[in-house]
Amino acid sequence: MQTTLSAEEGNLSAATAFLHGCWESLSLPEELLFPFELALEEVFMNVVMHGGSGHGPSTVWLELERGDGTLSMRLSDNGPAFDPLTLPTPDLDAPIEERAVGGLGVHLVRQMMDGVSYAYCDGRNTLHMWKPL
Amino acid sequence: MQTTKENTDRAIVLAPVGRLDFAAATAFQEALEKAIAEAAAAKLAVIVDCSGLDYLSSAGLRSFLIGARTAQSAGVKLKVCALQKSVGEVFDVSGFSRIMPPVSDRAAALAAL
Repeated sequence: MQTTLSAEEGNLSAATAFLHGCWESLSLPEELLFPFELALEEVFMNVVMHGGSGHGPSTVWLELERGDGTLSMRLSDNGPAFDPLTLPTPDLDAPIEERAVGGLGVHLVRQMMDGVSYAYCDGRNTLHMWKPL
Repeated sequence: MQTTKENTDRAIVLAPVGRLDFAAATAFQEALEKAIAEAAAAKLAVIVDCSGLDYLSSAGLRSFLIGARTAQSAGVKLKVCALQKSVGEVFDVSGFSRIMPPVSDRAAALAAL
């Protein structure tokens, strides 16, 4: 199943609603909804905050696929080329006053998913995330 | 998301209900900072009861972190309790369980003050 959205803050609820629709249509396991929902918010909001260009918001292509033993989600955007997987892991042991306020999103995606890969092809960033079914 | 507030003898209890995502994070952070300011003036603690919270993202974690810093500099004790399984997992993998260790329920939060 797929959908196309403009990378705007107000569309986070539409992206989430698409995911909920997939769960219903494909009768997917309830316990997998939370990790995918979280990964979607983190990746979508990254594109909203950092993926725009001088010409306005990027376009996001979102796809959820139930494969053979695997559930995978692909989020592509036509913003500037950027591999979020190159971001350093935040220091999780830093005390409250030294903890960075940002940088946790990608870390959460890595933790919640069993696999994450990045590719840049034909002017689109694509993040592919998957978990076993 | 809605956040209810209740004042008890020893603590102001905030209870966020629903989804603490990017869209809800700013309002929750404001509610938390306001409760901390009130608690500082009244010499109370702040307890965040998460029993009704079923979703938490990094934007929500940021609200908790800013709240923890505000509480620390105001000399207010801040306790988080009653995390649902998925929210607890987010606390664990982000390292937040170490900087603000969650407890099981309100009674345990009061006991830990």
